[in-house]
Amino acid sequence: MNLLAVSINHRTAPVELREALHLTEEEIRQIIQLAKDELLQEGFIISTCNRTEIYGIPKEFQLPYSRLHSFILGHKKPVNASEENFQNFLSRESLKHLFGVASGIDSMLIGDNQILKQVKDSFLIAEEMGFAGFMMKRVFDAAIRVGKRAISETAISEGAVTVSYAAVQLIEKIFSNLSKKTALVIGAGETGEIAAKHLRDKNIRKLTITNRTKERADKLAAKLNADSFPFDELNQHLNKFDIIISATSSENILISKEDVESAIKKRNYNSMVLMDIAIPRDIDPSTSKIDYVFYNDIDSLNIIVEQNLSKRKAEIPKVEKIIEEELDNFFAWYNSLQAAPTIKSLRDHFESIRAEEVEKNINKFSSEDKEKLEIITKRIVNKILHHPTIELRKTNDAGTGAEEAATKMGIIRNLFGIDKPGSNNEDKK
Amino acid sequence: MIPVIHFLNYLLPVLYLTTFSAYFYDFMKGEKKFINIKRLFLFLTLLIHLVYLLLRTFEFHHPPITNVFEIFTVLAFAITFSYFLLELITDIRGTGPFIIIISFVFQFISTLFIPDQLAVKEVLRNNLLGIHVITALLGYSGFTISAVYSFLYLTLYKDLKHNRFGLIFNRLPNLEVLEKLSFYSAVIGFVLLTIAIIIGIIWLPSAFPDISYLDPKLIGTGLVWLLYGAGILSNLIVHWKGKKLIVLSITGFVIAILSTIISNFLAQSFHSFY
Repeated sequence: MNLLAVSINHRTAPVELREALHLTEEEIRQIIQLAKDELLQEGFIISTCNRTEIYGIPKEFQLPYSRLHSFILGHKKPVNASEENFQNFLSRESLKHLFGVASGIDSMLIGDNQILKQVKDSFLIAEEMGFAGFMMKRVFDAAIRVGKRAISETAISEGAVTVSYAAVQLIEKIFSNLSKKTALVIGAGETGEIAAKHLRDKNIRKLTITNRTKERADKLAAKLNADSFPFDELNQHLNKFDIIISATSSENILISKEDVESAIKKRNYNSMVLMDIAIPRDIDPSTSKIDYVFYNDIDSLNIIVEQNLSKRKAEIPKVEKIIEEELDNFFAWYNSLQAAPTIKSLRDHFESIRAEEVEKNINKFSSEDKEKLEIITKRIVNKILHHPTIELRKTNDAGTGAEEAATKMGIIRNLFGIDKPGSNNEDKK
Repeated sequence: MIPVIHFLNYLLPVLYLTTFSAYFYDFMKGEKKFINIKRLFLFLTLLIHLVYLLLRTFEFHHPPITNVFEIFTVLAFAITFSYFLLELITDIRGTGPFIIIISFVFQFISTLFIPDQLAVKEVLRNNLLGIHVITALLGYSGFTISAVYSFLYLTLYKDLKHNRFGLIFNRLPNLEVLEKLSFYSAVIGFVLLTIAIIIGIIWLPSAFPDISYLDPKLIGTGLVWLLYGAGILSNLIVHWKGKKLIVLSITGFVIAILSTIISNFLAQSFHSFY
């Protein structure tokens, strides 16, 4: 199988280079158009913040990787990239790499399941552009299957691996139902926004945002269907919240131990969770000594992140096993595309249709005509299949490219639904 | 029949230990390898235990409540049965090893020392007494389970306060769930103990006309009942929650254990039948 893949990713290139080579959807469409014209019969392009990869079946049998490298580099502003920044793959290795990407084991954040959606989106673009042919559709299906199996059969995507999500995971070890809880996010910057989104995703009953610049708090609050209040009223409101996440860039402590002591008293000692994900810290760490107050800073949350990452790493062998299984399945199918099995399947398929119809209608014929019916219908089927059989046999002849042969056989199998469950041929099996 | 009873007597600790091992393995490894098998084992253990208790009742012509080791085997059954129901209702399976180990210990001691007692005092053959003891034991198993959840609550509470994110953090349900499990077990225990006390009050004067109400067992039980009652009321009326309630549950359990030890082994009580 002549599937080529070249990849620039977080293992091979620094962030500046990855950023420089990141492709927008519009750019991907432009490049696909050019690739179709110049280099590849079919393929697709994946571009995320951590990788830019091109997969495809070349028009020329021996297309050098360097052509693909310069093809990628040529469509972006000049960057300092060398051959070492590229990983090159062929055939089974290309597929193995793609499966690794789809399953998240090749991600910078191991088990990141966003990548599966990105792979899907990349394929949809290729399909829209008419760049994903018969073979790529099978490749794509297999990659998505690997991604889904990795998520459902292993713990590769389990546990929080970002500080803000670890904060939510920890909160869920204290409270059973966030839809009955109230939360305050202090700071409307990027970190605060991510934390607020996580809480919103967990159906927090009431979400409130406060920020030194009130407009930013209002803007984020409007975005997340939350409330806001002026920053200087922070202490008056502390007791109203079960969860407080602080993520400001303040140089000073914003919430003192006395503030929290007063708040917990007003709350009749109902538990309060304080997550300080700011550097430097916003909440006095000695609040952790107060009963019913659960205080965590970025260091303690990082412990959870590290633990979860280790657990995910331990799952890699299980995912690799799934990848090997799916590779074997894929190549079993690919090898079945050889001419002889396809001819046999095609003939079996038609024969089963013929036999079924004859059986249904046999009673409508007199006993002397029944034999004739068998002979005539068989002759019709043979005549119909004569030309396709000759054409398929030709694909075994020298000079016909393996990809062309595979495409032809794939089209036939697809057209007549030979591999589909419930097809006459399949039923017979 | 006796050989079958003896066989089941020795089989039961093995079954409890096996069930405990399956629960413990899943707890330690965090895998769900035995997730359904362990529940099936728990069910089978309970079933065999029930057969054992019934066989004893028929063979020895009295319910197995006539000596401390019979009480222990009934207690092991009651604790496991209560946990089994709780697990079915809540589908929380991570806390099993902490409760099944208690049943194992009770059953193990019972297996070693339980006598084949045919002759018992006439007073112990009374039906009301049977209901009294069974409800009391079920009540105490409720308190035992409540105490286990309270203990787990305190352990997780401390781990969270000290940023320890180990096995307890990863495997146990959250604090609010542990608190609820502890509270509801205590409520069930309290209701059953109340029934046991009422039956006891009805039956007591006819069985022991010269009974003293200052009996250590009665005082101990009264104290336990008051303590749990106060805890439940404080939750319902003044909304006491969290650690305070948890500490109360553990205190109640400790007093219940002390009261049993004092009345059964140390002090002279009308409850000491053996």
